[in-house]
Amino acid sequence: MEGYEDISPLPLDTGFKDELCQIMYTDEYRMVVGTARALMERREYSERAKELTGRVIDLAPAYYTAWNYRFDILMHLANGNAELLNQELEWIDEVTLNNPKNYQIWSYKEAVLKNHPSPSCKRELPILQLMLDDDTKNYHVWSFRKWCILFFGDFTHELAYTEMLLERDVYNNSAWTHRMFVLKYTSPSNDHLLEEIEFVKAKIKLVPQNVSVWTYLRGLYENFFNANYDDRIVQFTKNFTHGVEDEQAEMNVNVEVESSFALEFLAHVYTLRGGAMIPKAIQAYKGLATRYDPIRKNMWERKIAKITAS
Amino acid sequence: MSVGFESIKHVKFLKRHLNMLPSSQQSHDVNRIAIIFYSMVGLSALGVDCSREYESQIAYIYEHYVKLQIPGYDKTFSGFVGSLTVNVSNVPCISLPNTLFALLTLKIMRSDDFFYKHMDRQSLGNFIRKCQCSDGSFASVIDMNKPVPSPVDSTDLRFCYIATAILSLIGCKTKEDFQEFIDVDRVIDYMMTKKCDAGGFGDYGEAHAGYTSCALCAFKLLSSLDKLEVEFRERTTDWLLYRQVSNSGTVLSQEGRNPYYDPEENGGFQGRENKFADTCYAFWCLNSLKILDENEFNNVCRAGLVQDYLLTKTQNNLIGGFSKNDEDNPDLYHTCMGIAALRLMNGFLNGLFCIPKQFVS
Repeated sequence: MEGYEDISPLPLDTGFKDELCQIMYTDEYRMVVGTARALMERREYSERAKELTGRVIDLAPAYYTAWNYRFDILMHLANGNAELLNQELEWIDEVTLNNPKNYQIWSYKEAVLKNHPSPSCKRELPILQLMLDDDTKNYHVWSFRKWCILFFGDFTHELAYTEMLLERDVYNNSAWTHRMFVLKYTSPSNDHLLEEIEFVKAKIKLVPQNVSVWTYLRGLYENFFNANYDDRIVQFTKNFTHGVEDEQAEMNVNVEVESSFALEFLAHVYTLRGGAMIPKAIQAYKGLATRYDPIRKNMWERKIAKITAS
Repeated sequence: MSVGFESIKHVKFLKRHLNMLPSSQQSHDVNRIAIIFYSMVGLSALGVDCSREYESQIAYIYEHYVKLQIPGYDKTFSGFVGSLTVNVSNVPCISLPNTLFALLTLKIMRSDDFFYKHMDRQSLGNFIRKCQCSDGSFASVIDMNKPVPSPVDSTDLRFCYIATAILSLIGCKTKEDFQEFIDVDRVIDYMMTKKCDAGGFGDYGEAHAGYTSCALCAFKLLSSLDKLEVEFRERTTDWLLYRQVSNSGTVLSQEGRNPYYDPEENGGFQGRENKFADTCYAFWCLNSLKILDENEFNNVCRAGLVQDYLLTKTQNNLIGGFSKNDEDNPDLYHTCMGIAALRLMNGFLNGLFCIPKQFVS
């Protein structure tokens, strides 16, 4: 192979006649992987070795040892040089865009940023935005975004960013959990939290039957208000249940609710309040079991049994 | 329920993956042991006696067990490489997932010899020990020049599960047994930081059914489920039950509005909120549920909706295998997971190790 004539590639044949999943390699694969392994064996830390690991990663993105070797080469060559590390970040971005489902890139990028003398959050956000635009619920990209935010300690763009994504798709659970992550790390003021409650209420009004918004609402109360649900939020929630928790089961068989999650939310709050509210909680759970969410009948009945027992 | 389980076609589908593979599969060369494992799980769960059928290949699997030293360090490490073709003699190419997959494959092949004679327990334990990071989590490989977790690898709940599962397979039962190789309190502390508000486990607060299964299995293997508060366990049970997609009741109002809701997926499980159902999450959710609440697990099984979903929506009746959803082509991973979910439901499979019960005590 050009530029590597002095290297004899390590063979890819195992010599076993009873091999399982034997692969019909292409000549390119044999040559590239074979040569890279030979370089790895002698621990050559050179520009050409780095380049070759790039070709290996193209052919076999999951080759974890090749990633490790590339990083070692980089650390030897760059030795804290920002310019070379920036070039590496650009290479990673290119690999990422060509291969968005590659899982190794994120932890690799974290390692490069950790060893960079002047890493920049501003540099990372556009590519993250591009990736999430393309796949708004990509778990690995979101995890990396959160890692970045914590690493750089820069939370300033996150609320606006999630708001934009939620305008696009109010069901985006990743965006909602990202928002909660930001709140948890930024010790928001009471005013901010009250605004946040109004924010989620507006999203609930838009689409009441959405599990993510109700989890978020409950998260706000549990994480910041000691699970102290006030009457205003109870009144608000009742807008979506048409009073089925107040009536007798026989009477509401024909009433639709706008949100089974609202009904569950009320049942949960009533259970916490206890006393005279318990029959309402039971009524709500009965409604869920029989009509509004019958697939989880056993779950709702378990909740009724638990309240009744205590 | 008119559609049957296409057992014979699945066997053929799985066996094809153990034969000669085209070059389009070479990107999976690195994790060939995983291909073997998924195929063998599927085959053994369908009643194929792999110890007889693939007897002559046991030596080939053994060959993936590598003992090595890192230049400059005296300790020996051992584990399995994903493929002989990616191994390099003086570079640690062994990994935690390939080690677990190979050990379980050898269990399925009834190769007791490996565990009693061939395996070097101490160096295998050394490898696992050196994969553990200071925060208690695990990377899947060690660095090529130093006995420390690889600086470029991810560390997450998958590898916490895999590390504890391997130790369990090599005989660790009590906390003291595990403690001989890893820092048990630290891995538990780490997993505790991955609990999510909604129940379940995941990265930075977004619960994920796959990670949830990994965490619960690890807690169970470490006999530490009681470290999780009763309230959180219940919430996780509810979160898991909520992952079952339904076409009845108020949820139906999402049709046409929520781009990730499809009533046709009734009975299937999703991995996260507001996502489509997927064959593999039937396994991850049911396995988690079984660990937390056997009663609710049985309720879901008895209702038969998961089975209907898998058999009518993601099973391929022509060439065998299962796909991720009702659109994609069948693939090995989802075939393994689909069969595993069905076998978990009928009590045939050990969910902690995802192999038929008969192979693990």
